[in-house]
Amino acid sequence: MADPVLKLRGVCKRFGALEVLKGIDLDVQKGEVVCILGPSGSGKSTLLRCVNLLEPPEEGEILLETQDICKGPGSGTGEQSWELDFVRQRVGMVFQQFNLFPHKTVLENVTMAPEKVLGRSKGEAREKGTALLERVGLGDKLAQYPERLSGGQQQRVAIARALAMEPHVMLFDEVTSALDPELVKEVLDTMRELASEGMTMLVVTHEIGFAKEVGDQVVFMDGGVIVEQGLPSEVLENPKEERTKQFLGLVLDR
Amino acid sequence: MSQFFNQYFNFDVMREHFGEVLVGFLQNLLVFAVAAVLALALGLFLALLRQLPGKKLMPIRFLTIAYIDFFRAVPILIIILMISGGVPFLSFLPQEVRIPHWFGRPDPFWYGVAALVIVYGAFSAEVYRAGIEAVPRGQMEAARSLGMSHFQAMRHVVVPQGVTKIPAPMLNELISLLKDTTLVSVIALSESVLVSREVLSERLNSSSLTLTAIFFVIIILPLARVVDKLIARQQLKVTRGSHIEVA
Amino acid sequence: MRKSRLTALFAVLLLALAAVAAAGCGGGSDTTGTSGGGGSAEGGGGGEPLTVGSDIPYPPFEQGKSPDYEGFDIELMEAIGEKIGRTPEFQDTSFETIFRDVAQGKFEAVISAATITEEREKEVAFSDPYYLSEQAILVKEGSEIGGIEDLEGKTVGAQQGTTGLELGKEKANAGELRPYPEGPDAINALKAGTVEAVIIDQPVAQNAVEEEGGIEISESVPTEESYGIALAKDNTELLKEINKGLAEVISDGTYKTIYEKWFHKEPPKQFLG
Repeated sequence: MADPVLKLRGVCKRFGALEVLKGIDLDVQKGEVVCILGPSGSGKSTLLRCVNLLEPPEEGEILLETQDICKGPGSGTGEQSWELDFVRQRVGMVFQQFNLFPHKTVLENVTMAPEKVLGRSKGEAREKGTALLERVGLGDKLAQYPERLSGGQQQRVAIARALAMEPHVMLFDEVTSALDPELVKEVLDTMRELASEGMTMLVVTHEIGFAKEVGDQVVFMDGGVIVEQGLPSEVLENPKEERTKQFLGLVLDR
Repeated sequence: MSQFFNQYFNFDVMREHFGEVLVGFLQNLLVFAVAAVLALALGLFLALLRQLPGKKLMPIRFLTIAYIDFFRAVPILIIILMISGGVPFLSFLPQEVRIPHWFGRPDPFWYGVAALVIVYGAFSAEVYRAGIEAVPRGQMEAARSLGMSHFQAMRHVVVPQGVTKIPAPMLNELISLLKDTTLVSVIALSESVLVSREVLSERLNSSSLTLTAIFFVIIILPLARVVDKLIARQQLKVTRGSHIEVA
Repeated sequence: MRKSRLTALFAVLLLALAAVAAAGCGGGSDTTGTSGGGGSAEGGGGGEPLTVGSDIPYPPFEQGKSPDYEGFDIELMEAIGEKIGRTPEFQDTSFETIFRDVAQGKFEAVISAATITEEREKEVAFSDPYYLSEQAILVKEGSEIGGIEDLEGKTVGAQQGTTGLELGKEKANAGELRPYPEGPDAINALKAGTVEAVIIDQPVAQNAVEEEGGIEISESVPTEESYGIALAKDNTELLKEINKGLAEVISDGTYKTIYEKWFHKEPPKQFLG
C-alpha cells in the first residue's frame, strides 16, 4: 500500500497546564474520508488545527505526504517557515463560523488567496473561482456580499474558497453545527460530492448519518485520546468501548 | 458683575485684536495638521509592530508596548519642555536638526509637533489596536489557512476590517490633539493662546482668551457631533446583527 | 431621628470646610514671612502684614524660594515696610496678570521690576520711581550683533508682557520676536541657541552675564524707564505711606546700601540721600 497522505504519531498538544491531545496516532490514505466524532472538549477541533499548523503540537510527528511538518516543538511558530507554506497550500480548512471575508464579494473571497498566494492572474483566478462557485451551486451569487447569503450558502462559498487553492487534503471543523437544520443538507451534499471525486477529507462532525454513508474511517475521541477507530459499520453499529457506546447512545437518542 | 463681563466679553478688545488671534489660531491648525498626519502614521506603524507574531519577535512587541505605555502616561507638557530644553544641546545632531527651521516654521513649531506626534502616536496606536482586535480571530485563521502570510492577512483581511471601527475613537483623539496644540505656547510659539496672553497683559483684559475659546468651539463642536453620529451608527449596525444566520 | 442626622451631616460639612480653610490660609507655599538676605531673624517692621505680589524669579530683583526670597526689590520693600510699620508678605505671581491682580485687590502692592508706563497707569497707581532702568541686548559671547539695528531679521526673545518686548516690537525689525513666559526662559533659549538675542532689563542681563558663562551684553538701550511700586488706584492711603517710607529709605542711606549690594555700583544721584 502507498504511504498514507497524512500520518500522525504521538501528537500531543497542551494549552498552558491543560493537556488537550495526549498522544494521537492516525493514518489517512489518499482519497479517504475520515470522520472524527466525540464530545466537546475531546480535542477533535484541536487535532484538525494541528494538522494545518494553526496550533502547532508540542510533541509528536505529523507527516504530510511523507514530510514532517512539525520538526520538533516550537517549529511552525516562526512566520513563513517553509512548513507553513508547504502545509497551507496543500491543506484547506472550512470552519464552523464560515469566516468569510465580509468586506469582499463572494467571488473575491474565492479569488483572493490564489491571486495573493499562488500568484495567479486576475483573469485565471476569476475563471477558476467562477467554476468552483458554480460547482457548489452559487454561480448566481458572485457579486454579492457574504452578509446577504444564508448560512448554508456562506458555508458552500467557504468550501469553494478552500478548494480554490487546490488542496490535497480538506479539513472540515463541525461545518454544519452553526446552521439551521434546513440548511445542513445542502452543505453535506456538497461534501458528499467532494468525497466522491476522491478528495482526502478529515471531517469533525456530529452528523452520524453522514459518517455512516460517506466515511471510510470513523474515529471516536474522548479526553484527548482516540478511544476507538475503524470502519463506520464497526464503530457506529457495533462499538466495542464503553465510552463509545455511551456517546452514541446519547447522540442517537435524539 | 458687570466687571466680570468686561473682563471676558469686552467686544472692543475682541474686535481690535481679532486678526492677531485669528492668525495665532491658524498656527494651531497648522501644528494640528502636521502633527495629526504624522501621529496617525506612527500609530498605525506601532499597532502593526505590536501584532507581529512569533516568539522570536517578542522583543519588538515588548518594546512597542513599553513605548506606548510610557508615552500615554507622561504629560505632554513635560515632553514639550524636555524636547525644547534638551534637543538644542544634543551636540551629535547637526544644527539643522537640533534647531529646526524647516519650511519656514521656527523651532518651537517643530519641537511642539515632535512632542505631539510622539504622544499621540501612542494614543492612536491603541485606537488602531482596538480596531484590529475587534476583528474576529477567525478572519485571521481563515486567511492563514488559505496560505496567506501574516502580513498578507493583515493587509488584505484584518486591517481593512479593523479600520471601519476606528473613525469615532480616532476623531476623539484628534479633537484632543487640536486642543493640545495650545500647549506649545509654553515654548513661545505664537499660536492663539500665546497671542491672547500678550493681549491680556497689554490690555489687562481677558477677552482675547474668550475669543480664542470661541474659535476652538466653532471648529470642534461640529467634529464632536460627527463622532456622536458615527458611534450611533456603529451601535445600530451591531444591534441589527450581521454575519452567520440569515436563514 | 431625621433632624439629628441632618444636624450631624451639617456639622461634619462645616468641620470639613473649616479644615480646608485652615489649610488654605496657613503655610501656602507662595506666601512668606519676611526673611530677606539681611540675615536678621526679626526681618521687617513687625507690624501688620502687607501682601505684596511679585513675579519670581527675576534676578537680581527677586529670586529664591519661599520663604527665603531675596533680591533688590525684596530688600527694598522690607526696608520700606520697616519705616511704615508693616511686614511684607510676598506672593509669587505671573507677570502678565500682575497689574490686574493688584487692581482687583489680590494683593495690596506689587514690586516686580515693573516699569511705569502710561498704559499701566490706566489700571493701577504707581509710587514714586524707585529705580532707573534701561534695556539690554543679551547675546552669545562672540556674536556679531551690536546694536538694536543688528537685530533685523533675527530671532529675538523677550519676556511676555514686558517693556523689553515692547521695545523689540517698536525698534527691532526682528525676523521673529518670541515672548517667553519667564525671563529666565528667554535667557535659556539664548544659551540653547534657539534665539540669537534677548531684550531684557539691563540689571537682569548684567546678573545673567555674571552668573552664567557664554553670554554677554552687546548694547544697553537707554529708555528712560523707571520702576515703581504698583497699587490699586483707590488705595491712596497706602500710596502715601509707601512714598513716605521710600523717601526715608533713600534719605537715610539704606537705599544706597541695598543698591550697592545688588548692583555693585553707586546708585544714580536722585537716589542718594
